Amino acid sequence: MNASIRKLLVWTGAILLTATLTGCYESPTVTLFEPGVYKGADDPLLANTDNGSLNERFAGQMDR
Amino acid sequence: MAKMKFLCDAERCIECNGCVTACKNENEVPWGVNRRRVITLGDGEVGEKSISVACMHCTDAPCSAVCPVDCFYTTDDGIVLHDKDLCIGCGYCFYACPFGAPQYPSEQAFGVRGKMDKCTFCAGGPVDDNSVAEYDKYGANRVSQGKLPLCAEMCSTKALLAGDGDMVADIYRERILKRGDRPQTWGWEKAYGSTV
Repeated sequence: MNASIRKLLVWTGAILLTATLTGCYESPTVTLFEPGVYKGADDPLLANTDNGSLNERFAGQMDR
Repeated sequence: MAKMKFLCDAERCIECNGCVTACKNENEVPWGVNRRRVITLGDGEVGEKSISVACMHCTDAPCSAVCPVDCFYTTDDGIVLHDKDLCIGCGYCFYACPFGAPQYPSEQAFGVRGKMDKCTFCAGGPVDDNSVAEYDKYGANRVSQGKLPLCAEMCSTKALLAGDGDMVADIYRERILKRGDRPQTWGWEKAYGSTV
């Protein structure tokens, strides 16, 4: 009986510990600042405007 | 390559706030944040003028120059965008912007600011085009669909013009010639330089 209670307590403790520590992780990769350099994510829109098809579509709509 | 610009024709703006509503609706802008707003000069007086103001996507953007984490980038079309993952909500861009464009959602008690939010020319941000993540963070990406910002598209009097700077200027010039008026391209010189 005592052994089963102890086992239950250990498991409960483990689950509680896991639950409370969840989200405490911090990513070790940091973005180091360099003056004048954009280090954010790439914008897929830039590639789309490069290929010309978007500009073609814009051609008829620029008059507004 | 087109250089995207906004121009508000003060002679045509009737202060209906349709652009403000269109922007808020299209981009699900949080409560308390206005990416675009209408300002009336000489309100209540004869000859009052209204202008619709948002980020003008400046040629040499002062917000970008003062950002301590360089979270701004400019697209080939001249649209000034920023990465909210890099933004630290310091507020420098707000002080630098001559148009008061940067806005900060109040996220916690005691006025703690969230990530900066501003007009994106309906071009989203540095996330997959038209994804849920992009919409949540930056709002709609109409440019990737070949559409212009909804504020200008919805303007009932066509006071607010958006699109390629040359075309916008041509339309405005034609209007000025017809009206026999003096050009009042409010904010253009400040945003795009004295040569515009």
